Amino acid sequence: MNETGAPVLRARGLRKQYGKGEGLVRAVDDVDLEVASGETVAVTGPSGCGKSTLLHLLGGLDRPTAGELWLTGQRLDRLGERALARLRRDKVGFVFQAFHLMDELTAAENVELPALLAGRSARWSRQRARALLEQVGLADRAGFLPSALSGGQRQRVAIARALVSDPQLVLADEPTGNLDSQATIEVLRLLESLHAAGQTVVIVTHDSRIAATADRMISMRDGSFVDETRLTGGSTGSLGTLAGLNGLTE
Amino acid sequence: MGKIRLIGRLVRRDLRRHPGPAVLLVLAITAATATLTLGLVLRGVTDQPYQQTRAATNGPDVAAMIFGFSPLSTAPGNGPPKQVPINHAQIEAEVRTLTHAPGVTGHSGPYPVASVALRYRGLVAPVEAEGRAQAPASIEQPKVITGTWVRPGGVVLERTFAEALGASVGDRVTLDGRPYQVVGIAVTAAGLPYPNMCYYPGGNCVYDLQDNAIPSDASNGFAWVTEAGARSLGSAKAPLSYFLNLKLRNPATAPAFANRYGNKASFTVPTLIPWQAIQTGSGLLVQDEQSVLSPGAWLAGLLAIASVAVLAGGRMAERIRRVGLLKAVGATPGTVALVLLAENLTLALIAAAAGLAIGWGTAPLVASPGAALVGTPGAPAVTLQIAAEVVAVALVVALVSTLVPAIRGARTSTVSALADTARPPRRRPRMIALSARLPVPLLLGLRLVARRPRRALLSAASVAVTAAGIVAVLAFHTSVHLNGFGESGGLGNPVVDRDEQMLTVLTVVLVALAVLNAVCAAWATVLDARHASALARALGATPPQVTEGIAAAQVLPSVPGALLGIPLGIGLFDVAAQGAGVVVPPAWWLAAAEIGILAAVAVLAAVPARVGARRPVSPILQAETA
Amino acid sequence: MQQEVVLAMLAKEPSHGYQLRARLRQALGPLGEAMNDGQVYVTLTRLEKAGLATSEQSAGLPDRPDRKVYALTAAGQQRVAAWLAEVSWPRPDLAEFHLKLIAAAAAGLADPLSIVDAQRRELLRRLRDAQRAALAEPDGSAAGLLLEGIVLRLQADLHWLEACERNWTPRLTSRKEHR
Repeated sequence: MNETGAPVLRARGLRKQYGKGEGLVRAVDDVDLEVASGETVAVTGPSGCGKSTLLHLLGGLDRPTAGELWLTGQRLDRLGERALARLRRDKVGFVFQAFHLMDELTAAENVELPALLAGRSARWSRQRARALLEQVGLADRAGFLPSALSGGQRQRVAIARALVSDPQLVLADEPTGNLDSQATIEVLRLLESLHAAGQTVVIVTHDSRIAATADRMISMRDGSFVDETRLTGGSTGSLGTLAGLNGLTE
Repeated sequence: MGKIRLIGRLVRRDLRRHPGPAVLLVLAITAATATLTLGLVLRGVTDQPYQQTRAATNGPDVAAMIFGFSPLSTAPGNGPPKQVPINHAQIEAEVRTLTHAPGVTGHSGPYPVASVALRYRGLVAPVEAEGRAQAPASIEQPKVITGTWVRPGGVVLERTFAEALGASVGDRVTLDGRPYQVVGIAVTAAGLPYPNMCYYPGGNCVYDLQDNAIPSDASNGFAWVTEAGARSLGSAKAPLSYFLNLKLRNPATAPAFANRYGNKASFTVPTLIPWQAIQTGSGLLVQDEQSVLSPGAWLAGLLAIASVAVLAGGRMAERIRRVGLLKAVGATPGTVALVLLAENLTLALIAAAAGLAIGWGTAPLVASPGAALVGTPGAPAVTLQIAAEVVAVALVVALVSTLVPAIRGARTSTVSALADTARPPRRRPRMIALSARLPVPLLLGLRLVARRPRRALLSAASVAVTAAGIVAVLAFHTSVHLNGFGESGGLGNPVVDRDEQMLTVLTVVLVALAVLNAVCAAWATVLDARHASALARALGATPPQVTEGIAAAQVLPSVPGALLGIPLGIGLFDVAAQGAGVVVPPAWWLAAAEIGILAAVAVLAAVPARVGARRPVSPILQAETA
Repeated sequence: MQQEVVLAMLAKEPSHGYQLRARLRQALGPLGEAMNDGQVYVTLTRLEKAGLATSEQSAGLPDRPDRKVYALTAAGQQRVAAWLAEVSWPRPDLAEFHLKLIAAAAAGLADPLSIVDAQRRELLRRLRDAQRAALAEPDGSAAGLLLEGIVLRLQADLHWLEACERNWTPRLTSRKEHR
C-alpha cells in the first residue's frame, strides 16, 4: 500500500484528442483528478462522454495527447512502452466490460496469467490464483472454462485476475455493463469487499448502483468533469419513507 | 441462375477489396505450375531430336571402334603401359568380318582416328580426331551447324565438346602442338555427347544400355579433320585407330549384333555400340534435368498447397465473422464457402495460365542440351495434354487447400457465425501447464501454437518440404564432389553444369515459396492472436516479449520440420538420382543449412510480429466482443 | 401504510398487541426500527371501533392495547380479502417534484438545476445506504427483498433525475463554468 497522504493517482490537464481541424475530437478534455489511497472513485456519464478513454489513459493502455499523469509518484506520460508494461504488470489491475478472459484457459489459468507474465514461478502463480479465487468465492470453479461460467462468475474471475499482483490501483471499465441484475449484485458485493479491504479503485460506470459503492462520484460529459459528489450520510429513517412506511412513522 | 450471379458479384467485390492475398495465391500456384510445365515439356524432348539427327546425318545402326594398338601390361611402378601397335592385316581382317557379317547392308569408313591433346586458351583436353574426306559420306555424315566441313589446317568440333571448351568457329587451337583453326561445329548421331564419349575397354566409361555411363575423370572430346591430317597426327607413341559405321537390314537387331561381334573388354576385337545405346545416352542430359525438375515440381506443388491452405484458412475465418453482413445480401454461410471456392479456383486458373506461359517461355533456355542433337527445342510442344495436366494440377491444389475451410464454413450455422463462436481455439492442458514453466516469450509462443495445431502442422510441413529440397541440393553437390564430376582438365561438365543451373532455379523457386509461406503463416498468426496479444500487453507483457512470442510460435513447429527435412532430402536425392546411391552431405553443411532455415523463419516471422505487437491496445480491448 | 395491513396480520390467528407489533418489526427488518410502536396500537383501537376487529382482555393482564388479544370479525375478514385483491400500487411523488422545479424557474426563486443536483445527491446517498443494508442481509431474507425493492426504486428515480437534468440544462451554455 501507499504511504498515507500521497495520492495513488494524480492527473493534471489530461487530454486525448483525435483528428485535426474540422474533424478534431477531444475524447478527454483537460481533466484533473486525484485519488487517495483506499478511496473508491466512480466516474459516470452518458455513453460517448470519454470515460472509457480516460480509464485507459489512467492505466497506461493509451498515451495522452497532453497533460501529466502520476501513478504512485511515477510519471506515466513520459514512460516508454516497456516501462509502461512493467508498471501495468506490477501496479495496476484492469477489469473490462467484456471480461476479456482467454476462452481456452480455465479460471485458475486465467487468473495466474499476469503473475506468469511478471516472471513468477508456475507454482507461486497457481497458488496465488487459487487464493484469489477463494477470496472472490469461486474456489470450486477453478478448473472451469469461461464458457461454463455465468456472466457474473466470469467477471469475478476477471476481478481476481486484476488482483493477482496486489496492485496499488484497480481500474474497472463498466464492470457490470454485460451483466444481468443478479450478476450485478455478485460483482457489487465484491467491489464492496474490496473497498472494505482498503483497495484503491476507480470505476467507470453508468450504473448508479455501482456508483453508489464509491466514496466519490464524478460526472463526466463531453470529455470533461462537470460534477463531483461525496457520498456520505443518509439514514434508515428516510429509507422508511421510501418504503412507504408513512402511516406508521407519523 | 441468380445464385451464380450473386456468387460472381461477391467474388469480384472481394477481389477488388483484398487484392493482396489473391496476388499471393496466384504467385504460389504459378511457381508450382511453371516448374511442372517445364518438367512435362522436357519429357518430350529426348527422343525426337536424336531421331532427327539420325535422319539428318544418316547415322549408323552400329558404330564400331577398331583399335590400332593394345597396351602391354607392365609391372606397376614402371610408368605408363606401352602401346603395342596392332598390325595392319589384323585391322583389315576385323573390318572385313564386320562389313561382311550377315545383316549388314552398308558401311562407311574405316576412318583413321588419332588420339591427340587439344590445347585452347590454357585448357587441355584429350580428343579423338577422326579423319574424313571433304566429300560427304553416304552413311554417317556429321551435320555442320555453324561454319564449314573439314579442310586442310581446319578442325570441326563436335557441338557438346565445343560448348564445354567454350570454343567457336574461327578460334585457333593446337592438336598435339600443331596449329589448327576451328572451321566448323557439327553434330553426329554416331557418338555420345561430351563428356560421356568413351570407347576404351577395361575402363568404366563404355556406355551400355544396361548401365548408366559414369564418365571417367578426363573425358574424350570429339572432332573431325581431313584424312591426311589424321594420318599425320598419328604417331608411334599413339597409333591410329579406326571408326567404322555399319547399316543393318533390321536396325532393331543392333544390340544383338553388337553383342555377337563386339567385345568391350578386348583391344583385339572391335567395340561395337548399337544406336539404341547412343540414343539413350544422348537423352541422359535431359533425363538428368528431368530427374531434377520432377521432384522439384512436386516439392513446389506441396509448398503451394501449404501456402494456399494457410491463406484460405485465414481468409475463411475472417469471413465467417462477416457472415452477418452477407446475410443481408441474401448469402448464407454455405454461399460464403462457395464464394471462397469459386474465387480460389478462378485464381488457380489464372495461375495455371501464367505457369504454362512461363514454362513454355523458359523451356528453350533449358532444353538446348539436346546440344548434340539437331532437333530444335526452341518450339517445345506445350501440347494440349500438357496444358490439361497443368490446369488440372492447379485446380486440384486450389481445391485441396480450400476444401477444409470451405466445408467448415458451409457447416457453420448462421447463429454461431453471428455469435462468432466459430473456430474457437483448441485447449491443450499439458501444453498450457508446460508453458507456465518457460520464460515469457516461449510461454506465449507455445500457447499460440497450442491454440491452432493445424496451422502449426502446416508450418512444420512447409519447412520440412523446403529443408528436403535444400538437403537434396546439398546431396547433389556432395555427390558431384565425391565422384569427381566437376572438372576434367578445367573444362566444364555440361551435364553437371546444367543440373546445377536447374537446381539453382529450383532452389530459388522453393525458397521464394517458403518465404511466402512463412510470411503468410506469421501474418495469419498475428491476426488470429490479435486479441490475445493485446490482452497480454494489457496484463503486463512488453512489446518485445510479444514479438518474440509470435516469432517463437512460428519457429517451434519449424524445428521438427527442419529436422525431418534431412532424411527426406537424402531420400529425395536418392530417388531422383536413380541409383547414385545414398549420399549424405557432410555434417557441418547440414548444420549450417538447418540453422539458416530456422533463422530465416524467425526473421520472417519477426517482421509481421513486430508490427502486430506495436498496434495500440485500447481499440482492440474496447471492442464490444472479446 | 394502511390499516388493512394490521388487519391482515391478524388473519392468521388472534394475537396480543405486542405480538403483532413484534411480527411487523421482524418483517420490516432494519426499517422496523423506524416504525412508531404507538401507531400500531392506535390503529388496532381504530379497527376495533370500526367493527373490523374485536379485542379481549387476557385474564390477569392490565387493560392496555399491547396486552389485549385482538381478533378479526367477519367484516374484518371480508375487508382483508377485498384488500388482498386490490392492485393499486403505492403512488410516487413525481408530480410534486416536477411542480417544484417549474415553480422555482418561473418565480426565479432558485436554479432548477441546483435543485435537481441536490436531490440527486441525496438520493445517491440513500441508494448507498439502502444497498449496504441490502447486501448485509442474508441471502433470501424477506427484509433483504424489501431493501432490494427500495434500491431499484431509487435507481429508477435517479434515472428520471438525470433526464430532468438533461432537460433543464440551458442548451447553449458551456458546462465548464459550473466547475
